[in-house]
Amino acid sequence: MVDPASGPFIFDTSVESWLARSQDSALKQWFQEYLSLHPVHVSAITVTERIRGYAVILRRSRKQRREAVEAARTAYLSHLGYVWPVDAAVAVVAAEIMALLPHPATSPRGTHKLIESRQERLARWRFDCIIAATALVAALALIHNNAADFESIRGAIERSPERFPKLGPLELIRCGSLVN
Amino acid sequence: MKRRRANDSPKRRTTLTLPADSLTQAASIARAKKVTLSTVISEALANGLQAYAATQRSEEILSAYKKAFSGFSEEELQLLDGVVLDSPRKRR
Repeated sequence: MVDPASGPFIFDTSVESWLARSQDSALKQWFQEYLSLHPVHVSAITVTERIRGYAVILRRSRKQRREAVEAARTAYLSHLGYVWPVDAAVAVVAAEIMALLPHPATSPRGTHKLIESRQERLARWRFDCIIAATALVAALALIHNNAADFESIRGAIERSPERFPKLGPLELIRCGSLVN
Repeated sequence: MKRRRANDSPKRRTTLTLPADSLTQAASIARAKKVTLSTVISEALANGLQAYAATQRSEEILSAYKKAFSGFSEEELQLLDGVVLDSPRKRR
């Protein structure tokens, strides 16, 4: 189990929603304890991904639903926690990661009807690189729900320490291991 | 900003009715730490109020998160997590 007091942690984009929707009482208790000690730390990129999501849903929604989507967006924005900017240090580290790993570690996602385009997959991969760079620069562990992608980023950083002087290792925490 | 400690704020005299057990425990701590009973009680109260405020804050955030992520389909939740799925036909 991860001690909430050992935080703060950076939360990858999918983690907040995963935690908010979890039915696991131990996990709920963990998150509540974490929130009583620290704010949720996120990268500015997470805010971009999330708000783009709300904007796309809003655009696709019928008029009568728009108010509810807008209320959800406002609820999200009202409790952002600590947002780490993409500053010069993060930009440099992210660029090094992207140069080491130019292609996504995993295939585009999809369902039986819908698929993520290669362009979207590449954009999401680059966002993941920036989020990993943010955690590395902030020297905070990154909680994620995307092991394949972030483990490959961690591996690349470990194989090329000369590209990341005075930084690292990238500390990763899988969502599933928070209470186990 | 520096957090104001219980001992730093202005004092006000009041009368309280407290559980005898708690008072005995507090008196014992006061003797061990060589401070007054008032100091022990005010520190315990400040810690308790801080914990209460933290719990309130976490409940408020959890409630906002629930509101932020409820009422969406699985596909929409993926969108909120940064995954944009589209119909393959649409993209042609």
